[in-house]
Amino acid sequence: MANENLSVWTSIPFWRRSAAWVTGFASILLIWLTFDTLGQISMGTDEDLKAGTIKRVPAPTVINYNIDYQMSKKRGHEVPIIGAKEPFFGKEWSVEEAAELLHLGKLTSQSKNCMNCHTLLGNGAYFAPDLTKAWLDPMWSDKGPMMPMTGKSTREEAMAEFLINPSQYPTHARMMPNLGITADEAKGLVAFLKHMSSIDTNGFPRNFSKTAEQFKLGVSHAH
Amino acid sequence: MLTSIKTNSFTNEGQRLGMMYYRVAVILFGAQLLMGLIAAIQFLVPGFLFEIFDFSVARMVHINALVVWMLYAMIGSVYMMITDETGLETINIGLGKIAFWILTVAVTIVVLVYIFVQVGAGTEESIWLIHEGREYIEAPRWADIGIVVVVLIFYWNVFATYIKGTQTGIMTVMVANLLALAGLYLAGMFFTDNISMDQFWWWWVIHLWVEATWEVFVGTLAAYALIRLIGAKREIVEMWLWIEVLMLFGSGILGMGHHYFWIGTPEYWWEIGALFSALEPVPLIAMFVHVLYDWGKEQGAAHARGETASVITNGPAMAWIVTNAFGNFLGAGIWGFFHTLPQVNIYTHGTQFTAAHGHLAFFGAYATILIGMMYYGVQKANGIERMKMTFKTKMGIFLITFGVMGMTIALTIAGYEQVLVERAELGATWNGFFVAQELAWYVQAQTWRTVMGVVTLIGFVYLVWDLLTIGKKTQEVEA
Amino acid sequence: MIDAFTDVVPSFFGMLNQGPMTLTIFLHTVIILPMFWIYKQEKAKLEGK
Repeated sequence: MANENLSVWTSIPFWRRSAAWVTGFASILLIWLTFDTLGQISMGTDEDLKAGTIKRVPAPTVINYNIDYQMSKKRGHEVPIIGAKEPFFGKEWSVEEAAELLHLGKLTSQSKNCMNCHTLLGNGAYFAPDLTKAWLDPMWSDKGPMMPMTGKSTREEAMAEFLINPSQYPTHARMMPNLGITADEAKGLVAFLKHMSSIDTNGFPRNFSKTAEQFKLGVSHAH
Repeated sequence: MLTSIKTNSFTNEGQRLGMMYYRVAVILFGAQLLMGLIAAIQFLVPGFLFEIFDFSVARMVHINALVVWMLYAMIGSVYMMITDETGLETINIGLGKIAFWILTVAVTIVVLVYIFVQVGAGTEESIWLIHEGREYIEAPRWADIGIVVVVLIFYWNVFATYIKGTQTGIMTVMVANLLALAGLYLAGMFFTDNISMDQFWWWWVIHLWVEATWEVFVGTLAAYALIRLIGAKREIVEMWLWIEVLMLFGSGILGMGHHYFWIGTPEYWWEIGALFSALEPVPLIAMFVHVLYDWGKEQGAAHARGETASVITNGPAMAWIVTNAFGNFLGAGIWGFFHTLPQVNIYTHGTQFTAAHGHLAFFGAYATILIGMMYYGVQKANGIERMKMTFKTKMGIFLITFGVMGMTIALTIAGYEQVLVERAELGATWNGFFVAQELAWYVQAQTWRTVMGVVTLIGFVYLVWDLLTIGKKTQEVEA
Repeated sequence: MIDAFTDVVPSFFGMLNQGPMTLTIFLHTVIILPMFWIYKQEKAKLEGK
């Protein structure tokens, strides 16, 4: 029997084969893209940092360097700038020490459930500030309120002190609860935050550097 | 009252086990709503349960209960349909029942630990025993392994029955899709110090679940339900199912790119994420058209035969499935498209916009059809020929839908304010965040969200009341 | 029309990403094109019966 009235558009085999092709090929592309991306987002090495080779995710020893976040004309958005060396908790951390500290910090960030109030790289809950560039936040700068409030003279010490006793240093009615963070864990967390601020996030969050600059000049939106 | 879920006229063991999964799912659904309410109040009254039951705990249980009740209802729905589709009793159903109890005991322990232990020290042990602190897949590692074992047993039940029985198109899609769904969970089971790497693989689980495999699952369920509820023709339903698979996976798999804009991943994801994910609503329109078209077609054919009765054999289930068709397109499609382009997403990423989308999408795409399947289960449990909506059914569906829509709109307004003030104006700093959070418009939106959350909860009470009583009531009417 | 490569690390996909939508249009095209071939085959099958 001739099936001249039958259309391919209502034929199950056509849609089944097309579905199998599209699903299979999209999956292969995703796996290929994944390999390409994994190469680009695996952590760099200490040598990369010394040589000034830019990595999307730098080595843990990036905590020994000054980090900034500036508009890049070439990229069209803000990018992290890794600058000169600076002490972190009063010393320079070796490759092993830095890796260990970051490990402790990442573990603590998970076990204390940071992500269910804050966002990290923009992912998480929306109850507390985004932590992507928290290390660079003007609140912790020498012009910000947190250093005098915690009685510390460096950014990292002020952050660690806050993390250990967050509800002792309230800035708003909505406070961070005390999560039993120890002094070591707090150091780890600050290293984790500093490392995260050095990741190239393609310009997220946008405008951050402009506001930070305004803050330095004394223009504040605080109540 | 409770007798209606006890008396059952199931014709096969799979449906009996499916009903067991549904019961736990409803309890977890209730837990999800209560936790959501606590979290919503904490936005308005910051001191509420502070350092007793903090936002992070309420939020963790809120989203975990959500994921787990949906997985329970999904597994239940597969057991519900397996014998109808394959023509066989589920193979090794006894093993499946043991797996159900193992899973339920494990889930109970995990939730109790979440609620009473809350946080641990920064050690590997905390990740293994308390929780992993990774949104949506917080389950501790021991539970991860347990889940894998239970899912393997479940999959064996399905796969073995499929291979031996009739291999319909619906079951073919189901079996292939379930394998992907279960396998993807493995991508979320390792620890790394590299937060970019962490989130890269985390999205393999979350995105490829909710924007690919779960959506195909819904398509499969809808196909089965349409055959059962309105007598739709299998050839038509299965053709649509393959079209949906084509479009859902075609857009959804590479649509993953929209999560790789800002987590340290290369810039080329901007383009991939933008266009592929912008096409994600297309299959949702197809699903919507398909459900309404089939309904109209079957009813028209019945009229032509001179029948006056509705073709719908289960009113409540059909009502929820039509809600699913709308809700999926609106919540996942429209609200997702709102912020999927990188040009927009650089400002909306990590704001209440995401929360608005999350609420309507999980409800519209998943909760609705799974509730529909629960009504189908109640119908089968009581051996009812035709089940009609009661007043309670209508109250349940109206209040829940209205409540979730209200929450979504409120959160969208909150998100809009946050995007403009915190992100565009103040650049996502600590100070910018709080300025935006304390603005009157934001607070008003959060107030409305809480009110609408209460409306949803009242709707839930009607829903449970109806699920418990509708079977008995209909039986009495029929007798 | 063709933009200079701006991303951090040059790669195959980065190279295809050469301006407005080049990469994504390319990927969409390679996914959709074989469907024409599937269509023709299925059409031949339907007509041949």
